[in-house]
Order: sequence, then C-alpha cells, then structure tokens
Amino acid sequence: MAGIYIHVPFCASKCAYCDFASFPKEIGKQEAYFACLYKEMRSRFAELKEKRFDTVYFGGGTPSFVDPKYILGAMRLIKECANLSEGAEITLEVNPGTIDRNKLRIYKQAGITRFSIGLQSADDDLLRRIGRIHTRVDFEKACDVLKGYNLSADVMIGLFDQTKEIVKNTIDCAIAGGVKHISVYALTPEVGTPIYTDYLNGELPDGDEVADTYEFVVGYLKEKGFDRYEVSNFAVKGYESRHNLNYWKRGEYIGFGVAASSFINGRRFTNVFSIDEYVHFLLNGKYAEASSEVIEGDDAKFEFLMLALRTRDGVDLKVYKSVFGSDFTADYSKAIKSQSAYLSVTSDTVRIKDEYLYVQNHIILEFMR
Amino acid sequence: MTEKLKKNIRNFCIIAHIDHGKSTLADRLIEMTGQVSARDMQDQLLDSMDLEKERGITIKLTPVRMYYTAKDGNEYVFNLIDTPGHVDFSYEVSRSLAACEGAVLVVDATQGVQAQTLANVYLALENDLEILPVINKIDLASADPDGTKSEIEDAIGLDCSNAPLISAKAGINIEDVLEKIVTMLPAPKDADDEPLKALIFDSYYDNFKGVICFVRIKAGSVKVGDRIKTFMSDKQFDVTEVGVFSPGLTPKQSLSSGEVGYIAASIKSVQDTAVGDTITLVDNPAAEPLPGYKKALPVVFSGVYPLDGSKFNDLKEAILKLKLNDASLTYEAENSMALGFGFRCGFLGLLHMEIIQQRIEREFDIEIITTAPSVSYKVHLVGGEEIEVENPSRLPEPSSIDYMEEPIISANIYSPPEYVGPIMELCQEKRGVFLDMTYVDSKRVRLQYKLPLNEIIFDFFDGLKSRTRGYASFDYEICGYEKSDLVKLDMYLNGDICDALAIIVHKDKAYVRGRAIAEKLKEVIPRHMFEIPIQAAVGGKIIARETVKALRKDVLAKCYGGDVTRKKKLLEKQKEGKKKMRRLGTVEIPSEAFMTILKIDSE
Repeated sequence: MAGIYIHVPFCASKCAYCDFASFPKEIGKQEAYFACLYKEMRSRFAELKEKRFDTVYFGGGTPSFVDPKYILGAMRLIKECANLSEGAEITLEVNPGTIDRNKLRIYKQAGITRFSIGLQSADDDLLRRIGRIHTRVDFEKACDVLKGYNLSADVMIGLFDQTKEIVKNTIDCAIAGGVKHISVYALTPEVGTPIYTDYLNGELPDGDEVADTYEFVVGYLKEKGFDRYEVSNFAVKGYESRHNLNYWKRGEYIGFGVAASSFINGRRFTNVFSIDEYVHFLLNGKYAEASSEVIEGDDAKFEFLMLALRTRDGVDLKVYKSVFGSDFTADYSKAIKSQSAYLSVTSDTVRIKDEYLYVQNHIILEFMR
Repeated sequence: MTEKLKKNIRNFCIIAHIDHGKSTLADRLIEMTGQVSARDMQDQLLDSMDLEKERGITIKLTPVRMYYTAKDGNEYVFNLIDTPGHVDFSYEVSRSLAACEGAVLVVDATQGVQAQTLANVYLALENDLEILPVINKIDLASADPDGTKSEIEDAIGLDCSNAPLISAKAGINIEDVLEKIVTMLPAPKDADDEPLKALIFDSYYDNFKGVICFVRIKAGSVKVGDRIKTFMSDKQFDVTEVGVFSPGLTPKQSLSSGEVGYIAASIKSVQDTAVGDTITLVDNPAAEPLPGYKKALPVVFSGVYPLDGSKFNDLKEAILKLKLNDASLTYEAENSMALGFGFRCGFLGLLHMEIIQQRIEREFDIEIITTAPSVSYKVHLVGGEEIEVENPSRLPEPSSIDYMEEPIISANIYSPPEYVGPIMELCQEKRGVFLDMTYVDSKRVRLQYKLPLNEIIFDFFDGLKSRTRGYASFDYEICGYEKSDLVKLDMYLNGDICDALAIIVHKDKAYVRGRAIAEKLKEVIPRHMFEIPIQAAVGGKIIARETVKALRKDVLAKCYGGDVTRKKKLLEKQKEGKKKMRRLGTVEIPSEAFMTILKIDSE
C-alpha cells in the first residue's frame, strides 16, 4: 500500500500565514508545469511497476484553482501508468469560491472521491484578517455543490482574537455543510510571512490560549461524534483520511511537482521549491530532487514511533516487530519507563494518553537517541 | 658585555587607563628597537591571549627585552614589564612595578586623566618609581595636549614640560619616548656584590623545563648550576637555565643585579614560586627577603561542576593544569546533592573566576556549571569553635551558630562628581559605610567606602556601571572581617531543596533577594510536563513562591509527507537544548540558571 501526492502550486492569492510552495503570480506557467509534472509521473511510475497505490491526494496551493483538465489529465495518467487499487481514496483540496458544478463534472470524470475544503474559519472578519479571499457563504455554496461526496474541512485555531464561540460556529458551519472529517491546525507563524509581524507584535494568542482553544475543540467535536484519530485530525468513524494515515504509519508515498516529498524504498527525497527550477530539470530529462536521504536503523525506528505517537492508536507493537524485527518495548524500555506517566501501554500498543497528545514533542524527545 | 653596565639598563612598565594606548605604545617601542614584530611577541603565551584580547586586559605578564642605541651613542637594554589591568590582580601589578625603576604613564590627549590613570600612578609612586608622562593620540582632531598636560600637572603633580607628545598608532614621536626613557628613568643600582635577591613577579609552568620564574635580580647574581631556595618555601632547586626575554626565552650564562629575566630549576609547581617571593642562593643566602610579599588568598569561591557528570575526571585534569600556572587558584573536591561531584574553587575576584571558567570551557572543551559565587565566612559555633564556610550549603544549623563574620573590603570609587548621588545610594543599598570623599580635581571625586565583599559579588560592578554610565571605576582590598547578621537562603524546586542554589545573605535582604531569585528562576526554567513550584526559604520558613506552569502545547501542527524531516530537525534542536540542562530530581534547569541568580539587582 502506497500513496500518491500531486502538488499544485497555484493560488488566486497568497494567505498571510502561507509559506507553502504556492505562487499566485505564476499561474501563466500552468501549462508548462503540468507538462513537466506528467513527465515526472510517467518516468517515476515506470520505475515503480511493482508498487500498488491506494490513495491519491491533490494538494496545494489550490488544486481547484487551476483548469480541471489538468487534474483529469493527471488521473488518466495514473490509471494508465500506475497500479491503482479499486476503491482508492482520491482527494482534491478545494478552496471555497473556486468550485462550481462545471468543475465538479470534470472532477467526477477524473474519479475524485473526496474533497478537502479550506474553510479555516466561518468568521468573515477573521478570514479577511488572515488573507483568505472567500467568505462563509462561499463555503456553504461549495458544500452545496459537493453534496454527497466525502467532505473534509480545514479549520485554523490560534488566530487573532479568536473566541471559542467563533471556533464553535466554524465547526457547526462545517458539520452543517455535510463535512465528516475536520483537520484543526494551530497557526504557526513562519518567518517571512506577513503574519509573522503580527506574531512579533503580540497580536496572536499565546501557546496557553491556543491550548485552551484546542481543548475546547477536542471536547466539542467529540460531542458531535468526531473522534480524534491524530493530534490534528478528527473524523466520524469510517471517514478517516487513508492517505494521511499512511504517512503516520510510515507507509510509502510518491510525490510529484514542486516541493513534493516522496518516501519510497527507504529513501526520502524532496523536489525543488521553485516552478522554474522544476521545469528546467524536467525539460532536461532529470528529476528535480533538491534533497534526499536514506533512512536506516535507529533513525527509521525513531521516525516510525514519532509518527505513530501522533495518532490515537499509537505504535502497533506487532507491526513494529514485523517491520524492524525487534521489540519496541525492548528497544525503548528506558523511555517507556521514564515517560510512563504520559503513556498508555498495552500488550498490543503504546500510545500517548489523550490529555498529553498536545505536548507530545516533550515525550517523543525522550525516545530520541 | 653591554648589559653588565648597570647604567645602561632601564627597567620600566607602561601604565595607562584602559584604551589610552598602552599596548599600542608597547608594540611601537618593540618595533622601533628591533628585530621582532609585535605579533611574534604575542605567541609565547598564546593560551591566555584570546581571552586577554577579547577583554582588552592583560592577565599574564609578558616581559620584553629591547636594545636601543641612544643619541649619546650608547646601547641601552630596555626591559619592558607588562602589568595586568584589573583590580583582581592588583597585587600582581604591585609586584611587577616593584621589578621596575620607572614607569611610562600614557595619557590619552582626547580624554585626559581618568580613574585608572590615577590608581596606577598612586601604585607606581608607592613603589618609588620615576614616572615619565607621555601624551598620546595627539593626531586626533579632538586632542588637547596642552590641556592634558596641565591636567596631569594639577591632578598628579607631575612635571609635563618634557612629556613626549606622540601618536602610538600613527608612529609619531616614538623616538622621543625612547630617548626620554634613557634620560629620565633611572638605571638600576649595582648590587652584584651582595647575596642574591631575585624578586619573582610571575611564573608559568612549562612542560619541559618546569616552572619558569620571571625575576628581577635586585641584588647578587645567579647562574646555571646554582642551588637556590625561596623564602616562603623550604624546598631547594638546582638552576638549569637562566635567560632573558627577547622576547622568547633566550638562555644566558648568568643574570646579575639590575637585570630582568627568568630562572628555570626543574620546579614542579608554581606553588613553590609565589609571586612576590624572593629567590636566594642556598650557599650564600640573603639575610632577609625583599619587602612586599603577600600570600595571594582567594576571596571569591564558586562551585564548578561538569555539565555531564561523567566528565568529572576531565574537569579535574583541567583544573590541575590551570593550577600549574596559577598559584592563586585553589580547589577542593565537593559533592552537591543537585550537581553531583565537582570542585569548590577559590579565586582572586570575579574576573579571575570568569577567566578560569572560560578557560575550562574553551581550552579544555568541558561544559561546566558554576554556582553563584560566595565569600568565605567565619562561623563561630555555640561551643566556641570557629569554622570557615565557603559553600553556603555547608552552613551549620542556625541553632548551633553563635555568630558569623563576613569579609569587608575598603573600596575606592572614582567618578565624575555628578554621579556621587547614585553611587552613594548604591553603596547604601549594598550595606556600605561611608569613609571619605575627596576631590581629586574639578572633574573627579574619590569616594571611600567600607563594604561587605558579599555585596560586591552580587552585581555591584553592573550596578555601578549602569548608575554612572560607565564613568566610575573602582578598586578594593580586603580589610578584615566583621560580625554580621547573616542567614542562609534555601531554594526549593518542586518541593526538593536545591543545595547548589543556596546563598548566604544579610538577614534584612533575605526576603527581597529570595523573591527576586524565585522570579528569576521562573523566567529561566522552561516549562515542563508538570507544574513546578519554586520556593525560597529561610530556616525552613517559606518567604517567596513562584510557579512554572505546566507545558500545554508542544507539537507540530501538521506532519505529512514533507514534514517528517522538518519535525526530526526540530526535535534534534530541542534535544540539543536539553543537553545544556541539568536534571535536578524531576526538574531540568539550564546550566546558566545558577549564575543568573546573581544578576537580579541590575533590573
């Protein structure tokens, strides 16, 4: 089982907190970009004949912002060149205001099964302050268009003057739109983004306030039937994102496009960040890898636990043994002992207790050699 | 040999306020007289050089021998003896001066007479040195040579009519300085016929030759093969090498009165060659030593522990090696509940302490934790016994103490008159007793205070600097012990007493300081998975409390395919940070926390 990730680095505009590979001014390069993307896909898939793929994820940027024919083209290519499972989960990220019935018709043709909507907040004033160009109504319209599909929504916390009431309204709005999966991310002010200035000026809530909001969200979503299956992800049973779960199980994935990362055959590599550079490499018949590392031994074990401990189910001891040939509880007996107050240990799993999931770095650190 | 002619020898030092151009002038003199470039000279004691340069001070003394053919046609031998530039080393300075007949006083023509100028001049006069004033930096636009001259004449009473006007940096009039050294500074007395008296003004340990003693021969002579002894130690040694500094060690057959040079005699420890001691011959000993010897006693004590407990032996090695070259450094092993095995080290002062700590970290690459400095208290027990306590955590139970005494210093503070108010306020806060105030001149006041040393080590320098915008300077000497109402202030972390954080304070200050330390610790201790109470207590009674709240958010919001490497890097960074922490029970404390509690008064 492996995943496919396709990066679409185009957007209508850049949000105030965004430091991702997304370039609103370079939409004119989409034709060249996708030509190269297809080239990369054909070439990689030819080398990965034996791999079986179960999920596809179009992320961005705003994948719904580009001409849908490019999405369709990518999916056709996958079906033609890769071994894609029957019933695969195929997710497309969309932003409210960039989706309509015409686009949906083509997405349907492409075989998209799941839409992840960038809601962030249902408060128009807050949306404006973080540089989003849509409104609550746009979200409601998008939900209407996408009715009947498996829907997910992204919600941000840690925003300016964000009250629990605003967060609650946002969640209510998402649920009313038919969303069955919600990702809740705390804003991370990155150096170089406009919001970093606000952060430096103390206009954003501090860690304790964010933790308060987060705790509220966990409780409220639980009430609404959403279970926290990963520190930032909540779903109605059966609606967990298979694509993302694969990351946390340290499964394999192949990423295409600028800044996309892959982890396959024990090697993790990441493509260059700029569109021009990417296109340049591909046109010259080369892959556009900017960095690459082979992960073995203790590093591999650590990655496995670091990712697994993000999830509700934690480290699956049987899986660990089958992957590494050793016992997790023996490999990490010291850390398990020193952190026992924060861990729940059974004969099958080791996981972080619910109430400590949000301070997991501190715990995971003790597992680091 | 030329140097046999005593009248052709000039032994002198250069004294100046900081930044007035002492080192630059020394470099120029060396360049003008000869062979060696200033850079080569600095290689011989490379170890301490980085630190010295960084701090703009001289720690180790580096004598240089120069040859100068004067206008009178004679060749002269100049021995320039460098002096350390800090109050911690005032005793070493006085011994260096005692090795000279004259001093070149450098005064910056743009700044005039400054505090350190005066302090140095007084020291030189105490040692009966002839002083040659030199006005430096005359090439600068703001230079006022005439004003500076009359200032020196008024403030110090030195005749400046013949003072060379120079620029050491631009190399102007250096020749004049060389000539005036010949004509104005006296030659040493010829005392070759008397028994040997060699003044040790510095020494260092050489792996091959043993201790190299820097000496000024005051009387008699010494040669290879002589059996020697010092007055303060009963050991005897056979001289294996004597020589001069030109500027490296240059062996000679003998040294005789008036000369400055070195003696090596397979001496194993600098302990046996204390600065200020007198070397004489076993066969024909001098009747009495040269005057002025004082045993260098440490006055500031601090616990030094390896950050990584397994590095104890490395630390021991490092301290032993430093001790080889530094007779004033003392140490004894101690064990702290909080920090494990380490050493209680004694230093001449705060700067000496800082230098030793930095050398351990830099030259021996051992990360260390140092506890807040303490002084040595005399504790009189109920039974009449008297003990000395240098480690606050070793203070006996209050009920068994009759009374305590603390070391007192007498301090001279030089400052422009406008800062007298703030300085007096500071001294009052520091339990100072006013002794005297005199106008050195219209721009300079000398304040004399008696102060407890224990207050000086708590941030007195910073307080003085900030209240006088850096214009005041300060020197002191220990003048005795006085009875005082002192208590031990204990700190508790998460309910456990932390012996390494204990300090001894005056009773009236315990509350304020306890509260300040608790607040400071709250700032420096990072949040943990649980809440950490910080308590300050005197005699088991809690006087202040702060709380480090439990950590609530420590997670990377997103961790998808591309984030794994990033997250790993983040954790690695956190791990690095943790390595700088010391775990006390369940609490991790950054190593600098033990020192930050000192910095509480400056805010």
